[in-house]
Amino acid sequence: MNQCDEHHADILLYLDNALTREKLENFRAHLEVCCDCRERLEEERALSSLLRETRPLYVAPQALLTRIALAATEQAAAISRASVRSRKTRMQHLTRWLLDLCQPAFRWKPLAAMILAMVLGLVFIPDAVQRVRATDYVEAATRIHRSYLDGILPLQCRARSPDEITTWLAGKTPFHFQLPASQSVPNSKPVYWLTGASLVSYKGSPAALVGYETPTEKISLVIASSRSAVVAGGQQVRSGGLSFHYRSGANFQVITWTNHGLTYALVSSSTDSPQRSCLVCHQDMADQNLFKH
Amino acid sequence: MTFPPERNLFLTEALNELSDGLYGYAMVLSRDRSEAEDLVQETCVRAIQAIENLRPGSNVKSWLFTILRNIWLNRLRRRRTAPKMVELDGAESTAQTAVAASKDPHALYVSKVERQLVREAILQLSDEFREIIVLREYGDLSYQEIASILGCPAGTVMSRLGRARSKLRSLLSGSLRTPDRREKGATE
Repeated sequence: MNQCDEHHADILLYLDNALTREKLENFRAHLEVCCDCRERLEEERALSSLLRETRPLYVAPQALLTRIALAATEQAAAISRASVRSRKTRMQHLTRWLLDLCQPAFRWKPLAAMILAMVLGLVFIPDAVQRVRATDYVEAATRIHRSYLDGILPLQCRARSPDEITTWLAGKTPFHFQLPASQSVPNSKPVYWLTGASLVSYKGSPAALVGYETPTEKISLVIASSRSAVVAGGQQVRSGGLSFHYRSGANFQVITWTNHGLTYALVSSSTDSPQRSCLVCHQDMADQNLFKH
Repeated sequence: MTFPPERNLFLTEALNELSDGLYGYAMVLSRDRSEAEDLVQETCVRAIQAIENLRPGSNVKSWLFTILRNIWLNRLRRRRTAPKMVELDGAESTAQTAVAASKDPHALYVSKVERQLVREAILQLSDEFREIIVLREYGDLSYQEIASILGCPAGTVMSRLGRARSKLRSLLSGSLRTPDRREKGATE
């Protein structure tokens, strides 16, 4: 690199007033003696001036600004409505229950119905609670995946090797988690590859997000302790001694399962088949052909 | 631009302030007016939904540009096709006329012609050059902020910007001459 090449890199910093004092002195001294760099500086200055004069390059249409303002208002109102509705419903239920109890003609039939409901509740409530908790985990995993897609949740560790990610996560989560090491299968072309990992939070405890990518989409694997995250509901499929719960929404599909005290949620776009999502873990394993169709 | 506790109000102000920059960025990414509008609108909706998760002190400006870029990249991935090329020469929006209304008619005409020439030149650049020119020169983002949006080192941003400007200069040299070249051209 000759002296001019070195100073060409400083021209933009000079125009931005971003050169350090020492560099600025050197650059000015060089300009005194170098006609080429003076000319280059003038060209860059002229370009900057032209670009400045043409600002803004595009002006957001008024209709768009109005739509944004409306969307902001609707969003704020929706949040407020949801909060009020939830409070109101709880209060209505509580009020009705209290009023029923205070009825003067408290007859035996409602009492029997109540006892029956309690007995049934004792049988079914654990299952219902399990389902609610499972849905909560699926929703949390979907939110995490969406944030990852939007770039709101960047990967804190960027790595393609399972070992590197396992090492990075070690000690950061309250559970021990190890990504299976790659076992290269001859003549196989990778369908998915690892992109990295990040720490996330679920129910106030650290959980792990492991990112995967294909040529067409990003996939998230969220791992949390089975103490806080449970699986239930959805379409259930048994494979390899594990139960997989598959749910599909408008935009994403989520597969959850538990193994060795950990609960996993694999979130991907709903355009691909659920079997193919399994390749995230199985593409380097001997049973990969089971998931390719 | 950092983030004070009055989140919603601040975000609304930031969106107003950055709407032209975000729209310009969306236009050079998508090259389509309705797609660009849609991108900016979705960016705003996502930002409003995610505002509670944003840590105080975060850089809202680069956060918004990053959201927009990620929405665009996700759309591209889903489509699995190249972005459609749409002719951008159309009627200027009323807002654009309003911006330039303070200038005299001659200045207005020159400014409009220059803007059109610059737009055309920018659209001839490669995707990565186009993107970096718009982020730096029209989005007013620092090298560090651009590096965080593009997910590359600041040094890469600087070298890419240098190459992009060089290419842009050569594209504009035929139509808009620098003072030096204009003088030279006049004497030739």
